[in-house]
Amino acid sequence: MLLSYARNKHASASDRPDGDLLVKAAVQETFFAAKVEMVVKIPDLEISSVEGVIERCFTGECRQTIPLLQQVVGLRIGSGIIKLVNNFVGGPHGCPRLADLVLECCEQVILRYTVEPLGEILSKKGNELKTAYQEFLTQNPRLINSCIAFAEGSPLREGIDAES
Amino acid sequence: MLGFSRTKWVGVERPDPETFFAHGILEDNIYGMELDVWVKTPEFVITRLEGKMRRVTTPVCEQALPVLKNARGLSINSPDLISTVNRKVGREGCRHLANLLLECCDAIMRCALYERWGELKKKGAAKDPGAYLKEQLKIFPGLQNHCRTLFNA
Repeated sequence: MLLSYARNKHASASDRPDGDLLVKAAVQETFFAAKVEMVVKIPDLEISSVEGVIERCFTGECRQTIPLLQQVVGLRIGSGIIKLVNNFVGGPHGCPRLADLVLECCEQVILRYTVEPLGEILSKKGNELKTAYQEFLTQNPRLINSCIAFAEGSPLREGIDAES
Repeated sequence: MLGFSRTKWVGVERPDPETFFAHGILEDNIYGMELDVWVKTPEFVITRLEGKMRRVTTPVCEQALPVLKNARGLSINSPDLISTVNRKVGREGCRHLANLLLECCDAIMRCALYERWGELKKKGAAKDPGAYLKEQLKIFPGLQNHCRTLFNA
């Protein structure tokens, strides 16, 4: 059986020589292709520039939404970013696909800075691993209740209250 | 230096005229997971889900797989789909698996929205993309305010 539809989405974050991050997200699918590239200022996590292109779309009208991307310049990647990006770039007068690529870029930034501490934790075994996760959660309280691993009752959350 | 890389791939099949089947893969520096999703028409309801976690970060992560059942019965047409999946599959299970599920649902929706265009093209009957979208919105009225192009269709 042949596929009726295929989608390939790729996103990445790379360190620039000036210490900032270059983040890219691209999607290729049966009826649409686009990419977004942005620079994120470190350590502020502020979007300092953004560029995007819609390479292929169902009607040419989609391309008229590209200028909306500039409204995300100056936003800080943190609490509230999803709503802001969807309001500025998505919605009935914008392009939710472009907004999605901006948000994919934001996710890469967060994951980029999660890789190293996670690597440290995963190098431990048994009780040391559990203790390392508990310390990680104490330092990153926003993760409490964010998933089943950090929910109440999980061994990784022992001794940590939602309010801590 | 490349600090992080993530790829998501989704393929959609039509095993029978009433079914959309999506297979999704998420691979990045931290996580590796796969998901199969079955959606039945004409209601566009999720009827079955099967997940696999290939690479995760905690011994608890795999407990998120049974939580996928929370998505059974949801309509991919629902305006609340994203928030419901993020809450019932993401927070209660795994947010990366929820992200992959939403990617699969969106892929099925795009496939359903545009598949007739391909058939019309083969017959040489595909003329005006705008008129085609206007027709399709009768089947997917919830998409009317989805984006600029559909809003103006």
